[in-house]
Amino acid sequence: MAIYLRPASLKAALSTLAQASGKGRSAHPLTVLAGGTDIYPTRAGKQAWLESFPRDFLDITQIPQLRGIRRDGRAILIGAATTWTDIVAARLPPAFDALKQAALQIGGLQIQNRGTLGGNIVNASPAADGVPPLLALDAEVDIASVRGERSVPLASFIRGNRQTGLARDELVVAIRLPGHRASSRSLFLKLGARSHLVISIVSVAMLLDQGADGTIADIRITVGAASAVPTRLAALEAELRGERLDASLIERVTPGLFSVLTPLDDVRASSHYRRAAARILVRRALANFMEPQVEEVAA
Amino acid sequence: MTKKPSEKSSGASKDPTRRRKVASGAGVPSAVAAKARPTTSDMVSVSLVVNNVHHSLALDPRTTLLDLLREHLDLTGTKKGCDQGQCGACTVLVDGRRINSCLTFAAMYDGAQITTIEGLARNGALHPLQQAFIDHDAFQCGYCTPGQICSAVGLLAEGRAKTADEIRELMSGNICRCGAYTNIVAAIQQAMGQS
Repeated sequence: MAIYLRPASLKAALSTLAQASGKGRSAHPLTVLAGGTDIYPTRAGKQAWLESFPRDFLDITQIPQLRGIRRDGRAILIGAATTWTDIVAARLPPAFDALKQAALQIGGLQIQNRGTLGGNIVNASPAADGVPPLLALDAEVDIASVRGERSVPLASFIRGNRQTGLARDELVVAIRLPGHRASSRSLFLKLGARSHLVISIVSVAMLLDQGADGTIADIRITVGAASAVPTRLAALEAELRGERLDASLIERVTPGLFSVLTPLDDVRASSHYRRAAARILVRRALANFMEPQVEEVAA
Repeated sequence: MTKKPSEKSSGASKDPTRRRKVASGAGVPSAVAAKARPTTSDMVSVSLVVNNVHHSLALDPRTTLLDLLREHLDLTGTKKGCDQGQCGACTVLVDGRRINSCLTFAAMYDGAQITTIEGLARNGALHPLQQAFIDHDAFQCGYCTPGQICSAVGLLAEGRAKTADEIRELMSGNICRCGAYTNIVAAIQQAMGQS
């Protein structure tokens, strides 16, 4: 019958995972459960089509160290079971504004009160709204198992649509954001069929650091829902780095710089539309960082 | 359909709505199974407070909080709409925060305080939001209303919404297919003015 486990310590959770994922007679797959906001819709969908679905769960919401935001030297650590509401409420530098804006657009408040950042990453949806802001922040994923701990860049942790580099006995413990300059600003823009409670057609996270002379010292641009994995636009970043942040830059955001994207045709939008929308969102995001009088060029 | 009286703590085993299987434990690692705190070999014990009434139950661990409320506690005010977190009809308050009760296991709330639409009135007097929904005719068919009201209770407690636009944004987790949104916002504004 179904197993439901709710360990109170990370150590107990890891040993349970190790035992359950071992070889031989004791092997028994356990689904790690935190907010449940992705697990349930998946289950309901599979149930409706009489497909098998996971029934044995390891609930990690009672492990105190997995929830909350803290500093570790210059880095900021966000516990894997930290909710979107926790992130919105936290005092974080402007470089994290994009992550907060994403948190405010994930589901409704009821979802934000339960859904977790770690779950968003491990679920590895191409449209995961948490991922583009984290990629722009050069996030790393802290992973633990009874074999030890490791930390991998988020960009390599997510390997494809619903695929990650997490072994069956491993647990994501935290998302690690390395230090950022206090002057870094960030922005998240999401396009959906309506403004809230929708899966993104395309999303864009942009992190920008402007030098004292007005030029772009650093810029990271990530597009979500337009590839199997949210993707950094390295060529566009290189095009813009070192340039003065003014309206002429908008015209430099040309379609060719988006060729790295591989958007799908699906019920939400066509591939062509997604590619065009990604470019418009990037232009809007750039314009947002400029003086108010040039905002209209982004229309 | 026979339903289990809420004051009993005998659990779900007699509930005809629950699918039963013979619990053999085959294929389950024994140490893992032992940590599940089963009361029979497949049940978990859950104690929670719903609308100030304490309940101790033995449940199939896969029972959602929504099914616990509706099928085991006979609190049918909380509605099942989409059953996948998109409509908000199942919104309840857990320790004062609004959540979708369809998206969680009841077992995750061992020790929690749950408030449903049935628990909002005090001594026969409607909650200000219930009264405001009546005053503003903030519904048509009424199916989404318990979820709308519980969600609005959460919204007022959060204190983030000030304007009508902010109310609309922060109530986006609750869908009304009749389209009573204008009156729902007006009702929430009225209750907000009283709080």
